[in-house]
Amino acid sequence: MSRDDQTRFSTLVLPHLADCYALARWLTGNGTDAEDVVQEACLRAFRAVDGYGGGNARAWILTIVRNTAYTWLRNNRPAELVMVDDLELAANDSAAATPGGGGSSEATPEASLIAKADAGRLKEAIAALPAEFRETLVLREVHGLDYREIAAVTGKPVGTVMSRLARARRRLISELGTKDS
Amino acid sequence: MTDARLNNSVFLIHAYLDGELSTAEALAIEQRMAEEPALAAERDRLETLHRVLHERLPKQAAPPDLRRRIERSVGIHAVNSRPSWRALAASVAVVAVLASGTTWAVLQPHRGGDVADAVVSGHVRALMAPQSSDVLSSDRHTVKPWFNGRIPQAPRVVDLSSEDFKLIGGRIDVVERVPVPSLLYQRRQHLISVTAIPKRTAGSSPARGMVDGYNIVAWNDDDVSYWATSDLNVKELQEFAAAFRAAP
Repeated sequence: MSRDDQTRFSTLVLPHLADCYALARWLTGNGTDAEDVVQEACLRAFRAVDGYGGGNARAWILTIVRNTAYTWLRNNRPAELVMVDDLELAANDSAAATPGGGGSSEATPEASLIAKADAGRLKEAIAALPAEFRETLVLREVHGLDYREIAAVTGKPVGTVMSRLARARRRLISELGTKDS
Repeated sequence: MTDARLNNSVFLIHAYLDGELSTAEALAIEQRMAEEPALAAERDRLETLHRVLHERLPKQAAPPDLRRRIERSVGIHAVNSRPSWRALAASVAVVAVLASGTTWAVLQPHRGGDVADAVVSGHVRALMAPQSSDVLSSDRHTVKPWFNGRIPQAPRVVDLSSEDFKLIGGRIDVVERVPVPSLLYQRRQHLISVTAIPKRTAGSSPARGMVDGYNIVAWNDDDVSYWATSDLNVKELQEFAAAFRAAP
């Protein structure tokens, strides 16, 4: 390993370590696993740093963390990695992101009810989201990435990012608007 | 209104609140929301959700020894018994050493000029430091006077909050051994450093470029070169530059 690679790693990756850890924590659900994922992701990033071709360094390292987290989950906790089938969802799409749409039982609570949610309920509601909804929501609301950046990190078209984000938020609104859950 | 049209409008409300719409699209959806109570109610719910997520979700800091373990795993430090604050300081030093002209030029002959390297180094140090600014304030009347007495000329400090660029503070960077002021702005979670350099120091015309994954937009106004550095995409960074230049 060259000194040059170490320098590039220090410049490209280390400033974003808190971001990496936060994403890994949301994806794996706990701090210990998140540390393992971030360490593994950093090793991958270090091996790839020589071939890094420019672009947003933060999105680049978050992509590596995200992919490492899914590999880790597949190997260690495959049962928890239930992905929602996008095709199946697309069939119901006209209703899924719409308040009270499609005759579903989803509530359309008042904004004031949502405003009462505390940190514990927010965390629970986010943790309960399907993995691809959760990652999209977290990349937007926690990391502040824009749609194109989220599309790059998750490898999905911008349209998919939009619909996942809308459905993730709708589920949160529905969940947080239910009293006494 | 049909379900399909309602659904399409709901997607547009998300994109509107996320700042992803053009001005014309934003005006159109604003008008729809004004006319249709169901859309306005959805906007209120989404805005509230966004606010509680930002205000109440705990910020997750990485465990203090994670950085040290990672640095060791890639061979950055041979010594492994240092307390973490020293590991942090040492890793900053690696970057700082390279910011000094000659070493950098030898190692990175193919990349941008010394000034670009120096402003990016200043920005990276700000990202890595426990505190991103020497003076932390969103009030330009606090930030500007802070520079007085520290450097020969306090920089122009503008309020861009109406353009969704929030002032968070300022610091002093060193470019080619000259102390220069840098202001720190924020859009979403992206930090933007704008470094103001007397033109004779910069010696370069306005341009945009990229160093180590950070976008740079540089321009000259009056007798000062401004260098804006961020991991924000180049389009929004150019918006920032335009807003900064247009501000009174």
